[in-house]
Amino acid sequence: MSIRALWVVSHEKGKSGKVRFSRRFPTVEFRAKSLAGTQYVAIPEDRVIPQLLLTELGLVDADKPYVEVRDDCARQHRSPAVELRLDGPGGRTLWPVLTVTQGVLILACLPLVEAPPEPRPPLPSLASVSKGLALLLGLQDFLCGPGGKPEPDVLASRLAALPSVLLQVCPLGRPLDTPPPAGSVPAAVAPSPGGAQKQPAWKAGVHRGRAVVSVALTEKVRSMQYGKSSQQDIWDVYGMVMCKCEVEGVLPNVIVTLTLPHNGSPLQDILVHPCVTSLDASLLTACSVDENDSSAFSGPYKFPFSPPLELFRLCSYTSQVPVPPILGSFKLKAEENHLKVNVILKLHESVKNSFEYCDAHIPFFNQNLMGSVEVKVSSGQLEVSKEKNLLVWVLGQKFPKSREATLEGTVHFSGTVAGPTDPLCTGLTAYIKLYFRVPDLTLSGCCVDQHSVQVYSSAKPRIVTTRELVSSEYYIWNSTGDAPVSSGLTVL
Amino acid sequence: MTIADLWDQRISAFLLSPSQFLATTTTESFLAELLHELRNDKANDHLKILLVSVLLEHPTILCPSASVGEETALELLSVFSHTPQKSIVLKCNVMLAITNVIICTSCLATHTKTAEDWLDLLFQTIQDTNDYRCGLSQQPIRATACDCLREMETCSPGLLSQKLEALYLLKQQETTVLHQSYCLLYTLGLKNAIRILTNQKDVTDLEFKSILGGNEGFAWKSNQLELTSLPINMLVQVPRLTQGLDCKELKSIMSSLLEESYLLTPISQSALLRELVEVVAMVPGLSPTLFKSQLLRLFGTADVSLMHATLFMKDTFTDSLFTAEDENFLLKRLVGTAQHPLLRIPEKLFYMECILHFPENRPISSSGEESLPVLVTPRLAASLHPTVFNDSATMLCRLNLLCLVHLEADEGEADKGIGFLFNHILALLKIVDNDGSREVVVTSFRALFIFLMHFNDMEELSEKLIDKLCDMYSRHSRLAPNLIGLADHIQEHLDDPVWSVKLLRELQKCIMEMPPLQLTIHNLSWHLKVLKRVAKEGQITQRNTIYLLLNVLINSNLCERGNWQVGNAVLAVCRNLLEHPSIDQLFIELADLLQYISIQYDDTDIKDHARFYYTLLTNLSWEKLTGVLAKELDGGRAKERSHSAIMAESEGIVSNLTVHKTNRHVLQLIKVQEKATQSSSESVEATGEVRNCLEVYQGQFQTPGFGSEVTLRYNLTHAKETDLLFDKVFTICLHFELKDSNYAKVSDIHVPCVFRDGKPPEVKVKLKPFQPYPTSLCVSAMFTTQDGRSWHSRLPDVSVSFPEIFLPLPLPPNSSCECKEQVFEHIWEATASGNPDKSAISLFCFKPEDESLADLIKTHFQGYLITDQQSERSWKVLFFLPPKCHILLKITQAEDAARVSIATDNWELLPFVNSYLQNITDNCSSTVTDG
Repeated sequence: MSIRALWVVSHEKGKSGKVRFSRRFPTVEFRAKSLAGTQYVAIPEDRVIPQLLLTELGLVDADKPYVEVRDDCARQHRSPAVELRLDGPGGRTLWPVLTVTQGVLILACLPLVEAPPEPRPPLPSLASVSKGLALLLGLQDFLCGPGGKPEPDVLASRLAALPSVLLQVCPLGRPLDTPPPAGSVPAAVAPSPGGAQKQPAWKAGVHRGRAVVSVALTEKVRSMQYGKSSQQDIWDVYGMVMCKCEVEGVLPNVIVTLTLPHNGSPLQDILVHPCVTSLDASLLTACSVDENDSSAFSGPYKFPFSPPLELFRLCSYTSQVPVPPILGSFKLKAEENHLKVNVILKLHESVKNSFEYCDAHIPFFNQNLMGSVEVKVSSGQLEVSKEKNLLVWVLGQKFPKSREATLEGTVHFSGTVAGPTDPLCTGLTAYIKLYFRVPDLTLSGCCVDQHSVQVYSSAKPRIVTTRELVSSEYYIWNSTGDAPVSSGLTVL
Repeated sequence: MTIADLWDQRISAFLLSPSQFLATTTTESFLAELLHELRNDKANDHLKILLVSVLLEHPTILCPSASVGEETALELLSVFSHTPQKSIVLKCNVMLAITNVIICTSCLATHTKTAEDWLDLLFQTIQDTNDYRCGLSQQPIRATACDCLREMETCSPGLLSQKLEALYLLKQQETTVLHQSYCLLYTLGLKNAIRILTNQKDVTDLEFKSILGGNEGFAWKSNQLELTSLPINMLVQVPRLTQGLDCKELKSIMSSLLEESYLLTPISQSALLRELVEVVAMVPGLSPTLFKSQLLRLFGTADVSLMHATLFMKDTFTDSLFTAEDENFLLKRLVGTAQHPLLRIPEKLFYMECILHFPENRPISSSGEESLPVLVTPRLAASLHPTVFNDSATMLCRLNLLCLVHLEADEGEADKGIGFLFNHILALLKIVDNDGSREVVVTSFRALFIFLMHFNDMEELSEKLIDKLCDMYSRHSRLAPNLIGLADHIQEHLDDPVWSVKLLRELQKCIMEMPPLQLTIHNLSWHLKVLKRVAKEGQITQRNTIYLLLNVLINSNLCERGNWQVGNAVLAVCRNLLEHPSIDQLFIELADLLQYISIQYDDTDIKDHARFYYTLLTNLSWEKLTGVLAKELDGGRAKERSHSAIMAESEGIVSNLTVHKTNRHVLQLIKVQEKATQSSSESVEATGEVRNCLEVYQGQFQTPGFGSEVTLRYNLTHAKETDLLFDKVFTICLHFELKDSNYAKVSDIHVPCVFRDGKPPEVKVKLKPFQPYPTSLCVSAMFTTQDGRSWHSRLPDVSVSFPEIFLPLPLPPNSSCECKEQVFEHIWEATASGNPDKSAISLFCFKPEDESLADLIKTHFQGYLITDQQSERSWKVLFFLPPKCHILLKITQAEDAARVSIATDNWELLPFVNSYLQNITDNCSSTVTDG
């Protein structure tokens, strides 16, 4: 259940990769050697690691159209683990190298194979794999933070802190914990008081100070709307409950309850944080891969837990809602060198007409740059970005009273300079992408009542609950053109 | 640059490439420097942590033997005990380093005293729970000690098997965050102790109980487990204890461990669960239902390692813990998590792997191959259908899974599903057709490969694909290498090559039908690649290919242009055509083509080649012809020297092989024993120009290249055992590769011949150091044997030792002794006063036996002596090392010891000087006898 080595490699476009951090665990290597016997493959020196890794990930020789070691179709890149070919094709290989890529960073580790090396054991049979994966994902959070793109100097300082982080979470190659996510500094923490109550390993001390419990519920809605009878529109919702509990005590008990409105469709695929102490079987029964069962358990969903000090994701779920919040129609018509555009957006009556923002992006690909744009909108403003061939329709905070907004007009592509290209959106294949956020709303109707949050602690805490709906991958495809299939569910 | 920065640089260089780093110094001296700096009180913790990291990561490089390991561990132990209490992080790092050194240099396995002491110290540390004396800050030390012990128990299983009671008590008492460390340590010890007991026949209740109550020393020798013992899911038969043992106590321990597992971090929880699962599997008295209370919590977990541990439980206990309903539920959860929008790509890929290897209660096959659990139906897997919006790994993974699903599905359902997958492939190809990026192209061909591997027997679909691919090829000839690769791999992986042949035949047709305008130079090279591959297929007629080539050559200006690459690509097609089984029917056409090239093509090499092929074609029967051509193919991956071969195909297998390779050493280089250089004292006594000596000396360096080379003389001889074939070798070209960057490239050396019984030719290797460090050269030779064949062979590496780079003081011949002495004194004073910057002085003492000092000097320093005042028992010696380094020695004999004062203008040479002096003085007595 150990890893043999760990690397953080960066690769800037057009440059060769660079090892930014690496760590080897010789005692694990010692075991690897005796486990694999004559089939043992030693880890090469760090100076050759980036090239090997980038080759497997298809990131070398960007200027060459075809390189056999990189592009060979029989090499299947469909696993979280790759093999590094140390002596070119047919030679010794180092396997399984787990990789996580974020931006220019590649995090990689080599879990110990506690199995006979030949025939190659299946990945799930190796205990070290999930631990290596958890460690890498934790490192990703630690290095990149929630934004995902740290500034170079911030990244450098986090990389410099890695040795001391690893001393705690993986001192001898055996992952004990995941690194704390970047920027998570727990507030006033006092050392554990000692006494009979055992201190959990995931909680460095106890909270001191004002007791506050905040529970934030965020729902994201995805949609693919085609406006055709041949292609069914799809949409779904997924939600997560983020908690931050500043409560005294070594193991204080907190219960958060999610409730659905009467006849709301049940929450599915519920995943909970490891700090949840017990779960009722009925909570887990609903699953998106099943057929919908209206008789299924639909709440209240109780999550008893003892909170860690930092912000954490208490649970997540998916939900099937009956209607999309905004129903759109998008029609394009090609005429000589211009396109006729017609868009209608309808806000569903169940959705509160109060947005923080609501924008519709209409990009045009594989065309020359825009010339004149004669487009009228019934509500909001239109921004034209000619160099990007993009129309941005800013609908603002509210739809009109009718809950319907239209955009109509023609766009000329008179320029001679080619605009942005996209291999998917050719001909009349085009889309509108919506970006919106509605505070104090969930589509599933799910909510956390402030009074339902129970805290068993000496001091009565202040309880803050919020909820919001945010769009994510919300597409409306041109109904006069072909649109790509986006889910197998609609076909079968 | 501060010392810390310097170390920072050196250590980064070492970690990046230990071998390159150690080319400039020796391991002993580097290790000594590290340990020295670690003991330096002035160095701060930060620097020391950096220094320890080298030992932490590469203990086996720095401690190549158990004895060095033990010494190093002792040194570190003293560093540890001298480190102040407050330097917690440094102390922890040193502890880890000691553990690493002890385990990796086999000190633990061989039960050395140091290992024993270290183990005792660690155990004392974890027993010393009285942290409050120094506050909580000392906690990390105990945590690290637990980790070290756990690692030692892992590497030497059973070591703690007699200490379980003590460990249990410590675990119980601990209420701080360290509880986890104690808990994991105890559980591992418990598991290993039980595993050892399973090796024993007829275990009694008493023996069984005594494990839990053990409170003795470390079990150094008691039947320890092999270090290589595998986790039980890897074993065909799980080792089990005897039935009917009283498990009451163990059961309650297990329950309390499980109850408290919640206090552990998720990763550690999963480790604990796995250990406990192994224990239950080994003890028949324990029931898997022990885990029942944890299951619901685990089923709902968002943590990948806990989910994985649950699957391990499932795999181990199957229906004795999981009902059919549980199983179904777990699988559904897996499918749900494999596409959960909030999980990250690597996690989802992992869950998909878990679906493919799902441990079913009643598996149909138990092989390790990917086989779909019967419970995965098309309906269940529908949400995992690939789409063009997926990233490439997810898409390929889903495609593979869904191919398996639909392969197993009932007919009606399968057709629909396969149709969907087929449409998906077409959607991908459409993107490729619309100038998708390279990544899309590669992913699409990988998808095609997966699809064809499963459904190539569905003729209608696979033929549609061929049409589509040819259609695309007509627009995008750059897809040629992808198409060739696809054809190759499908042919290789399926027994039935039909699909590939069909594809290639259609591609040939497609090229034939192209309007001449499309056969531009650029596209032509792709087409020629395809035709070359097509020509390999015996089932495809090649007449059209030949007509096309002839047509193109006649009706374009290609021949006049005489582009070598194009000509060579055409010849590459012809070469494969020569081997084609239907050559008889194409004989005339091919002969015409080759003749046309040999006359018309405006490039001599191409003409010659064509004429050669023409001659082969017209003079040899097909059998002989293929024999000749095939023979050229084998011989492995030797370095090809034929330019046409190299250029025709920069990657991949090249047909024409002209150099054979032998892995044996045929030749070797033997150092010529130098006769002692003429003693410098014999030089002419010339007075007068003494003053100018220094200027003359320094002036010489104005001449470029002056004194920059060392010439080493070797005899080129046969290696001991070689074939008769190699007794006479000719036109030998010796090629040298440097192993480090301290020397300039060494040019090739040509030798006319070497005969086994003849006088070995002398070879002079000229080395031009940038840094005068010892080095070693890889030597290879290319030569011809009597039968005219060319060979390539490696020679044993030539190592160049430090003294081999020594040169005498480079003064013009006939310089007087005084002159030399003047130069010597000047350099000495300069270096002693620290000029240039890198100067250093040092001292080396040894105890020579009787008269051996004079002999020593005669043997080793004769050519380098500046003054020889034997009567006063003092000598001055100067070694010049190119490009411009000096090592000056003043040797004096005192009463009981000889003192060697050393001065050099490059302190980095000191470690080498030191080991050199050590070396020659160690052999002092033997020198005496020799002399």
